[in-house]
Amino acid sequence: MEEYDGMELRELENEEGKIVKHEEEEEGREQEIWSWGAGTDGQLGTGRLQDELLPQLLHFTSLSSAGPISFLACGGAHVLALTSGGKVLTWGRGTSGQLGHSDTVNSPHPKLVMSLNNYFITHVSAGWNHSGFVSDTGALFTCGDGTFGQLGHGDYRLHCYPVEVSFFASSSKHVEQIACGMRHSLVLLRGGSGDEVYGFGSGKRGQLGIAKDKINLVSLPERSCGFEGVKIASITANGDHSAALSADGHLYTWGRGFGGTLSAQMPQRLPTSFRFTKIALGWNHALVLTGGEVFMFGGSHHGVLSNPDKMTPVKHSADSREVVLEKVPGLEGSRTLHIAAGAEHSAIVTENGVLKTWGWGEHGQLGLGNISDQTSPQEVSLSHKFRKEAGLIEIYCGSGFTIAVRTLCRPS
Amino acid sequence: MSYDDVEIEDMEWNNELQAYTYPCPCGDLFQITKEDLKLGEEIARCPSCSLYITVVYNVEDFLDKKSNKPIEPSKQQPVTVA
Repeated sequence: MEEYDGMELRELENEEGKIVKHEEEEEGREQEIWSWGAGTDGQLGTGRLQDELLPQLLHFTSLSSAGPISFLACGGAHVLALTSGGKVLTWGRGTSGQLGHSDTVNSPHPKLVMSLNNYFITHVSAGWNHSGFVSDTGALFTCGDGTFGQLGHGDYRLHCYPVEVSFFASSSKHVEQIACGMRHSLVLLRGGSGDEVYGFGSGKRGQLGIAKDKINLVSLPERSCGFEGVKIASITANGDHSAALSADGHLYTWGRGFGGTLSAQMPQRLPTSFRFTKIALGWNHALVLTGGEVFMFGGSHHGVLSNPDKMTPVKHSADSREVVLEKVPGLEGSRTLHIAAGAEHSAIVTENGVLKTWGWGEHGQLGLGNISDQTSPQEVSLSHKFRKEAGLIEIYCGSGFTIAVRTLCRPS
Repeated sequence: MSYDDVEIEDMEWNNELQAYTYPCPCGDLFQITKEDLKLGEEIARCPSCSLYITVVYNVEDFLDKKSNKPIEPSKQQPVTVA
C-alpha cells in the first residue's frame, strides 16, 4: 500500500477499495476528494461514522466510476456531489429523505441518485436537512425535510426522493440556481423580462425577502422583492441568512442580521464601493471576495476571527442595519480564488493552491489535526503523491465539516 | 457562553428523542426534554459538542394542568425559582 508523505491511507474492508481518482487520460488529470470534521452521520463519505481531525482521501468506486466532480453542496450533515456528466451522488445524513434515495436512512458512502438519472443536473444545493437539484431544462426538484415548507410543494411533508416543484414547471422561465438554508430555500429564475428570485420555507427572520411584514411559513414559492431590473449572478443561503450577488458585483443580504444587527425583511444592498465576485454564508458570519481579497462580517462566535485586535474594520456605521466589513488578516501576498463557510468555520484557497481554514474547530473541521479554534487562517496540508505537482483545489463547507476537491495536473 | 437564544416555538418536537430540538452548528441537535422545561431548565445541550443554547419559554406552559389549577386563585407565589 502506498503512503502519501507519511499519511497512511486506510483501505476499507468492503468491496469498494479503489482510490477515488478520475483519470482523464488524454489530459493527464486526476481528481482527489478529501474530507474532514464532524462525521458521525456519514457526511465525510469515508465509510466510517466518526469525526476526522485531518483530511481523509475518499476511496469509493461509486465516485470514481461516476466521472469527475464539478460541484459539491454540503448541508447540515449531508453532501450532494454533481458530476460533469450531470449525475448526482449523495451521502451522509438521510433521516429526512435529503439524500434522495427513496429511503430515510444515512449513507456513509456516495450513492447515485437514481431517480434523477433521466435528467442532466446543472446545479445543486444542500440545506440543514433538505436538498435541491436544477436540471439543464430549468426544472427544480427538491427532497428532504419539508416541515417549514422549504421544499416548495405546497405542503409540509417530507419527500424522500427528488420531486419536481410544479410551481416552476408551469412557468415559462427557467430555474437556474437553488440555495438551501436551515429552514428555507431561494430560487433564481432567468427569463425574457429579467432575473427573479423566489423564496419559500421559514420566513421568520425575513430570509424569504417576500414582504415587509413578518412571515411565518410559506410552502409555495413567492417572489422576493427588490430585484427589478437587477441582473443576478448567484444566490446563497445558510442558517437564516440569504444573499444574492448581482452581475456587476453588488451584494444584497436579507434575513437574520450579522453581528448583532437587526434582521432584514427585504433584500438590502450593501452600501460600499467594493465590487464582490463571491460570497459564502455561515450561520453567524459571511465571507466575501473582492479583487482577490477576503473580507468578513459578523462572526463574533467561536473563534471565527473573534479577536478584535487582528481585524481591520473597513466601515463602521451608526445604522444598526449596516454591517461592518473586516479584512481577514494573514492572507497578504497571495490572491484568494475560492471561499467557503461552514456554520462556524471558514476556508479559502489561494491562487498558489494553498488551503487555509479558521474558526470553530471542535470537530476537526479545520483539518489541522486538533480540535482548537483558530482566530486567523491556518494552512491545511493535503498530502502529495508526487513532488511539485500542480493542483487546483476547490473547497466546500458543511455545518461542521469540510471537503476539498483537488484536480491534479501530472507533469507528462 | 450560550450559542444563541431560541424561542421554544422555534424548536421542533422530536418523537424519537422525546425532546424539543434545534439545529446545532456541528450538525447534531440541541435538545431539552419536557421534564427539564417543567423544572424551569432553560439550557438545551448538544450531545456531540460543548455548545448549548438558552431556551426562551414560559415555564407555566409546561406545568401539569392538574397541579396548576388549584394554585391559580392565589397567584402571589412566583413559579420560577433561580
